Amino acid sequence: MRRLRSVFAAVTAVLTVAAAGACAGPTDDTAGAGGKVTLTYWDFIDPSQDNARSKALKENIDAFQVDNPDIAVKLEVVSYGDMLSRLPQASAAGQGPDIVKMYTPNVPQLVDAKVYQPLPDAYKEVTDWLRPIDQLVDGDGKQVAVPYEYRTCSLVYNKKLLAAAGANSAPKTWDEVVQVAGKVAKNGSIGFGTGFSEADNSAIMAELFDCFMSELKVPVEDPAAAFASPGAQEYAQFFADLKAAGGLSKSVVADQYSTVTDGLSNGRVAMAVIGTHRIQSVQKVNPDVDWAPLPAAKNGSNTSATFGWTLGVGSSSKNADAAWKFINYMTGPVAQTRMASGGEVPARAATYDDPFFKTDAAKAVLAIREYVEKDSEPHAYPQNWLKVAGGLSSAGQQLYLKGATADQMVQTAKAAATS
Amino acid sequence: MSATTVEAPPARPGGRVPEVRPPRERRHVWAYLLPVCVVSTLVFVVPLLFTIWTATHDTKYYEIGAFNGLSTISAMFADDRLLSQVLITLGFAGGALVIALPLGLLSAIALNRVRRLKRTVRSLFLLPWLMSQATAGTIWLWFLNPNFGPATDLTNRLGLGSTDVFSSPGPAFLAITLITAWWSYPQAMLLFLGALQTVPVELKESMQVDGGNAWQTFRNVTLPFIRNTVVSVAVVLLMLYVQMVTIILVTTRGGPLGGTETLAMRTYNQMFVGYDMSGAAASALLLFVINVVLTLVAVRFRRRETL
Repeated sequence: MRRLRSVFAAVTAVLTVAAAGACAGPTDDTAGAGGKVTLTYWDFIDPSQDNARSKALKENIDAFQVDNPDIAVKLEVVSYGDMLSRLPQASAAGQGPDIVKMYTPNVPQLVDAKVYQPLPDAYKEVTDWLRPIDQLVDGDGKQVAVPYEYRTCSLVYNKKLLAAAGANSAPKTWDEVVQVAGKVAKNGSIGFGTGFSEADNSAIMAELFDCFMSELKVPVEDPAAAFASPGAQEYAQFFADLKAAGGLSKSVVADQYSTVTDGLSNGRVAMAVIGTHRIQSVQKVNPDVDWAPLPAAKNGSNTSATFGWTLGVGSSSKNADAAWKFINYMTGPVAQTRMASGGEVPARAATYDDPFFKTDAAKAVLAIREYVEKDSEPHAYPQNWLKVAGGLSSAGQQLYLKGATADQMVQTAKAAATS
Repeated sequence: MSATTVEAPPARPGGRVPEVRPPRERRHVWAYLLPVCVVSTLVFVVPLLFTIWTATHDTKYYEIGAFNGLSTISAMFADDRLLSQVLITLGFAGGALVIALPLGLLSAIALNRVRRLKRTVRSLFLLPWLMSQATAGTIWLWFLNPNFGPATDLTNRLGLGSTDVFSSPGPAFLAITLITAWWSYPQAMLLFLGALQTVPVELKESMQVDGGNAWQTFRNVTLPFIRNTVVSVAVVLLMLYVQMVTIILVTTRGGPLGGTETLAMRTYNQMFVGYDMSGAAASALLLFVINVVLTLVAVRFRRRETL
């Protein structure tokens, strides 16, 4: 009996070691029976949800699989924040997704983290992108991603709140925004909605900085130079003036992107600069909300930044050609028309030939497409955009809570971005 | 079942004590311990060594480069934010513990006396703990929103102004401490509830027969019986609080002005915002040392207080 116990214990030990080893080892399940390829695709949109974007995604994946019976797409729902933290980790372990969906400003950071591999040459056959794609490249100039949809910054405002403050149209300059915000605040509402919270990767501060610098033609690719430019001073002065005019929310330090869009939806916020992709959802809830092009900077320009989600092939993928096939489908006319019905702005010109774009349902998307094409430009981003964004929030907090000047705000942001 | 005892043989002339061989059952104990040792090595020792290795090397994202000695650790101690982050960590952990421990004990005592709808009442008390930390943080963020949160609506009606708690460092620190205590107290409650049920009823009855009131019964009978559980719960909760990230991440991400940036949050930000794995590993080691010190203090206290 004792001998039996000893043997049992030894076998348990060996099995434990073997099981641990098996868990640690790499797995490759991309090629299933019959040579069928399985592509993993990370997206933050959950196709099981009951909304237009989710339905469009589900229909697109289903349709692609019907058209390509030798390719299966395994969708994994991963939040934006998790993607940023998990993509470098998974790619380093050789376990990254085949298809990487990423927000334009974060692409350089993920290129640096070796998340991407260059796209197969087949990408060159697609030439009808609405905006240039040459900023989505790696250090060797090789294309790593293509646009999935487009968006830019817009001034979204509440017509009723502005009218009550004596403004019958949207402000056309940042100085006018400050003046109107101050008047709105005197009526008890929030003049200009923004947020200095870092909780959502400082999304709203970073987006406004990106668009503001685009207007001023200041390249943000080099944060040190950008923060040393007069443009950064003008950006910081806008917030200092807003604070002085009482135009910021009392909770601006804790506010984030969702707080601002919620405030626009429920009529508490009079104006905010948000991405064009949010316009329709806010208008749906609050018909008093309208949008206008970005207010002009002191140089008279209001050419904003073009950004949005992109698709690329993951560095761990062993199925780059199949992955490109999927990307080509998702950015192609059929899939993009479905996406447009969900409110997104298609990235390729061919999509707009679909009869859907002759209908009233497409009017809002077409207006945004025109605005994106006419009034925004894509540009390159630094490899530490998250740090730049975090620094902007910290600088905003210093301004609001510690009474920092515009110049001190710039220095705080610069220190964080260059640390 | 009887315990096996081994009597020491008499000492031989000359003072030498003959070698005592343990019984055969004891010789096999290592065979049983081996799987545990292997698993512990894989899930604890190896990661710890890897963390030390990472902290002493240059890193770029997840690539480990050249050995850099103690330069990362020196840089950590030279960081002027570190002291404040350690103090915030200790204040946050201690604050949450001071709230959650008595709250858990009181809830357990109350639940132990409930006779009707026992399961329903217990489920209600457990509700916070059933939520994920992310859900709990998001709910409180919405509830306390100064512009349209229900709490603001209530405080405005009472003429107290809006609930603007996350906009300045002090109130934000207090808020995350309270939210964490609220989320975690059911864990303490459950453990206390189990311990309370081991307290002999006869002893309580004897105390009452001797004229002891409820407080005296609790102090002289209940508390000595559950004292070790109290210490264990304190250790478990302290570990939880010192390493807490999610609730802080969802509500403040360490802000405003670094007022809620605990060491765990610092580690997270270094790893996932700055992608500085070496720096994050150094912070994680400091966090580990703090955890070990707190645990040793608690364990020592527990031994002294053994019944």
